Amino acid sequence: MRDSLELHLTVNGRPASLRIEPRETLAEVLRERLALTGTKVSCDAQVCGACTVLVDGLAVSACTFLAADADGRAVRTVEGLGEDGRLSPLQQAFIDHAAFQCGFCTSGMLMAATALLEEEPQPTRQAVIDGLEGNLCRCTGYAQIIDAVLSVASATAGEPAR
Amino acid sequence: MIPRFSLVRAQAFPEAFEAFAASDGDAAWIAGGTELLQVMKMGFAQFGTLVDIKRIPDLSGIEVRPDGRLRIGAGTTHRAIERSPVVRRALPALADLEAGLANVRVRNTGTIGGNLAFAEPHSDPATFLLACGATVELAGPSGRRELAVGEFVQGPLLTAREPDEIVVAIHVPAADPGTGRGYRKAKFFERPAASVGVSLTVRDGAIAEAVVTVGSMTDVPTVVHAAAAALAGAPAEADALAGPVRAAAEAFGSLDIGADHNGSADYKRHLAGGLLERAVRGALSEAIADA
Amino acid sequence: MRRVATRPTPPSPIGESVPRRDGIAKVTGAGRYTGDLGMPGLAHARILRSPYPHARIRSIDAAAARSHPGVIAVVTSDDLPDVNLVYGHSVADHPLIARDKVRFAGEPVVGIVAEDAVTADEALRLVDVDYEPLPWSTTARDSLADDAPVLHEQPGEQRSHRGFEEDIERTNPNVCSHSRQAWGDIEQAFAHADLVVEGEYHYPRSYAYAMEPYNAIARWAEDGLTVWTSGQHPYMVREDLAHCFGLALASVRVIVPYVGGGYGSKSYTKIEPLTAALALRAGRPVRLTLSIEESILTTRGDAATVRIRSAFDRDGHILGRRATILLDTGAYAENSPLVGRKAANRLGGPYRIPALDVTCSTVYTNTAPASSFRGFGAPQVTLAGESQLDEAADRLGLDPLEIRRRNVLAPGERPWPRARGIDADLRADLDLAAEELGWDTPLPAGRGRAICLSASDAGSEPMTTSLVRVHADGSVTVTCGSTEIGQGSSTVLAQIAAGEMGVDLGRVHLLQSDTAAVSYDRSTGASRTTTLMGLAIQGAAKDARTQLLAWAEESLALDGPTPVEERGGVRIGTAFHDWGAIVRAWFGGHAGECVGRGYIRRHGATREMPPFWEIGCVGVEVSVDESTGEIRVEKLVTVGDVGCAINPQLVEGQDIGAAMMGLGMATREELIYEDGNLVNGNLFDYRVPRTTDLPELRTVVAERGDGVGAYGAKGGGEGSLNPVAAAIANAVWRAADVRLREAPFTPERVWRAIQERDAANSRGAAGVREEPT
Repeated sequence: MRDSLELHLTVNGRPASLRIEPRETLAEVLRERLALTGTKVSCDAQVCGACTVLVDGLAVSACTFLAADADGRAVRTVEGLGEDGRLSPLQQAFIDHAAFQCGFCTSGMLMAATALLEEEPQPTRQAVIDGLEGNLCRCTGYAQIIDAVLSVASATAGEPAR
Repeated sequence: MIPRFSLVRAQAFPEAFEAFAASDGDAAWIAGGTELLQVMKMGFAQFGTLVDIKRIPDLSGIEVRPDGRLRIGAGTTHRAIERSPVVRRALPALADLEAGLANVRVRNTGTIGGNLAFAEPHSDPATFLLACGATVELAGPSGRRELAVGEFVQGPLLTAREPDEIVVAIHVPAADPGTGRGYRKAKFFERPAASVGVSLTVRDGAIAEAVVTVGSMTDVPTVVHAAAAALAGAPAEADALAGPVRAAAEAFGSLDIGADHNGSADYKRHLAGGLLERAVRGALSEAIADA
Repeated sequence: MRRVATRPTPPSPIGESVPRRDGIAKVTGAGRYTGDLGMPGLAHARILRSPYPHARIRSIDAAAARSHPGVIAVVTSDDLPDVNLVYGHSVADHPLIARDKVRFAGEPVVGIVAEDAVTADEALRLVDVDYEPLPWSTTARDSLADDAPVLHEQPGEQRSHRGFEEDIERTNPNVCSHSRQAWGDIEQAFAHADLVVEGEYHYPRSYAYAMEPYNAIARWAEDGLTVWTSGQHPYMVREDLAHCFGLALASVRVIVPYVGGGYGSKSYTKIEPLTAALALRAGRPVRLTLSIEESILTTRGDAATVRIRSAFDRDGHILGRRATILLDTGAYAENSPLVGRKAANRLGGPYRIPALDVTCSTVYTNTAPASSFRGFGAPQVTLAGESQLDEAADRLGLDPLEIRRRNVLAPGERPWPRARGIDADLRADLDLAAEELGWDTPLPAGRGRAICLSASDAGSEPMTTSLVRVHADGSVTVTCGSTEIGQGSSTVLAQIAAGEMGVDLGRVHLLQSDTAAVSYDRSTGASRTTTLMGLAIQGAAKDARTQLLAWAEESLALDGPTPVEERGGVRIGTAFHDWGAIVRAWFGGHAGECVGRGYIRRHGATREMPPFWEIGCVGVEVSVDESTGEIRVEKLVTVGDVGCAINPQLVEGQDIGAAMMGLGMATREELIYEDGNLVNGNLFDYRVPRTTDLPELRTVVAERGDGVGAYGAKGGGEGSLNPVAAAIANAVWRAADVRLREAPFTPERVWRAIQERDAANSRGAAGVREEPT
């Protein structure tokens, strides 16, 4: 008999209960059991940030985070960013700035930036650069990503977006 | 891909030790898992049972004890240390170090205890805490003990911890007035190429005591006594540091430094010289402010 | 972004920065990549790989793995007697799973299919392979030594897409291919030279790091094989699958959903034959997803050693250039013969060179196979060629910009006989870069600037088709075999179709990369999609409009005035009829469809090769920390010379992304082999650029309508990578007076060069002079 355990958590505000194996990562549970495939796995080593999700508001690498450790906690993924079928301002800014190409880093980048902005709604350009240093993108060279995040920050402040 | 294992989520020490004993040696402790799960994925380690210890109350909390020692529960995440007002006040160089460690996701999950217990040769906290004279508190089925960081870390990926012992807390002794700490690293890839920790105590306008440690380029974080000796007695003035720092860096010549893709031994030795100067300057300004 | 446009204005929405059509899918996580797909009965595969760089396989004991609970199939080459194991579009030398021997550490040896991937992983550990280790070589130079181990005892059969036109006798069994590019009287050129510059330059083994690792799903049914894959070239994969499994092309269906980055690394066939073989033996649909560590071992970029001599007159004119290029192509040919051919072609750069003689050998080594990677030979040789120009300028007392102005090809001038004339104004590009970089403004100490160029014979082969289907409501479906790999093809191609048909972009649906549903396109690579597929769509749209005009005449204008084409339909007298109305009228009901066809081949505008020249024009300002040797690119200028930017925002994104990738290659990226094994084959140790590496940017998009494509467009997206390493090397020379010839320019390499400079200076100060050679 393989070990299993009960997992109770909320994902994007909705409660979920399921039986999992202890070895399952949060990324595996999200993708394979809850069909939330927006969370991507790339380096599988906590370096690239493609699998970034928020657990109780904190960014973590879902590829190396045991799903068991999400028990009783609130998980947010890219699928939960928009509200009522509308894009979040950050998602819209990514489209406006063409802040993605292949899109494989995008979910993680959006979640990392969301955590960053929730913590510091008015970051400086340098704070955005430093805050996203651990999220890799191989397509864009980052310029449009940084601009997109900053545009949301300044829009929030009532300043004209860049 | 993480191999299969059984998970025990221990709420207290007895339960943890019991689960460990029941595993017949085929178990490991897990807290943040940032190191352990990675080596399991890579196939370097496999365990029938993981015993999750992060809920054990003793492993949490950051406080300055009545005896002046800073106690950091081993299960404290890097992020919590980075943001702790207590650490910021008592040991600001540690807060800075933690803020520059890996990336925010690893800091949100990984713990200071796990970092030390893993004894990865590139560990920033180990090199710095060694300079601070910190100790590691361990709890095992037969009781508790406390080891200096230098005794605890024995080799690359090797510590004095018995398999059934748990790292409970890190203690940093209260420093004498006029003490400052500094830590600097050179990092070109994911892990640092070289790092230097410094603790200085200034008395009567001169460096009275010094500790210098190096990490990342050696197998284990290493105290460089000769470097400290070269600094001792130097005037506590930024303008007068160049000579003593150069003399101190000479002491790195005797270190056994490994070559890898971060650089050759003599390049890392050269880097360490530059880091030493910056770490000393950082420590000195803190020391002067504290004097 | 600064746009410099001298071309006519194309019809809307061409030339407009419309939002990406894959935007909502990608920012909501709804977009599906191969790894996101599932299907009933899907089983999962894992691969056992060779730990040895070169070894004979004595035996494989997989009995324990076969009986492990949950295992469905264990597959070795012995289990595939009915499969053509060896494939390869240029040289057929690549077994889909090792047979008899392994040629690099990481080569697939056993495939295991199980109910889930963890179970397959467990079973891998139960397999016992008995290897007889053989001597190995991990560098091209070692492979060419007299006593070098031979990787391929029998040369692979040369296939249709081999890419090298003339064969030179293989003098060494480890030479995979040999290409030569030569013209003019090279002996005379060097005999009359006032200055000869000579050097050897190294470019490392590199890794594209497409963030989505290789993955594929294969499913067999009575009517054939269906494969979903992360590959860039569905039609090329189809060809190899048909070959391996003895199927008609029509019986193989290859579908490519969104691709998580390619940069060339997902060109041609990778894991699809292996996945299909595993599915065949498992009798179930099978998913194979590699890890990034395995992906690194699947394809990398070619390392290059370039020995080069350039002859100049005293005014800085290039008289001749001679070079030998060695490419370390790894254990299998993959696409390296074509990379070698292109490296030879691209070494001259966009300059007037009266005489040239370049040979390029691709050499087998016991390392992971090298293949296409963004730039495709150009970054490797541009480092050499562009460094030599600055070295010559220095020795002749010329400004580096001036020496380029004197040599650069004029618009229409042919780089070599029979090649298409240069379809760009490179002097104007140079001036734009100089202006944006502030070429004439003073520099602080420790800083340096450089501007470098490249020109690539790009576009691959013009073999491209498209269908434009006009529906009864006037909306349009465009089918094309070009893949959306992030470059924005799904947006740009729809813009072209909308502009050509005169319909709203929202009324155009683009269907891509499903060989059963869309017509043929050779490949998505060589920066060819906007140009060649753009032309095919333009042609198909024109064909549809021609038919629709005839239909209007036939069914709507029986006795009336002649229909006149207008945007989005026809006017007959005062009445306007949109395309849908014409379709309905012609079919005589409420439905029907008009199908336009577009074919692009070596004919007409695309007869001359290459189809277009891809230009690279990059300027950098760097600072050098002499205490650590760390280089920082402070400022980066790109000039995207794309003829017509169908979507300027996407052109800018391609240029920044390419240049940043070049920055990574120039400063940090290198796959390192020690004792026959890759030692930094993971993202911990192979560092790609991060947000903190981003310089101050100036991007220029130059649109002069001089490309062969629709509205004068031509390809981009690789050009801005090619000159980056050379530009950094030249700028570091200005900043620190050290000449870097070996990329990546790691802090230690730069520091060592500075130590050597200081040692030489102190020798010079002591009166010891070295004679110039």
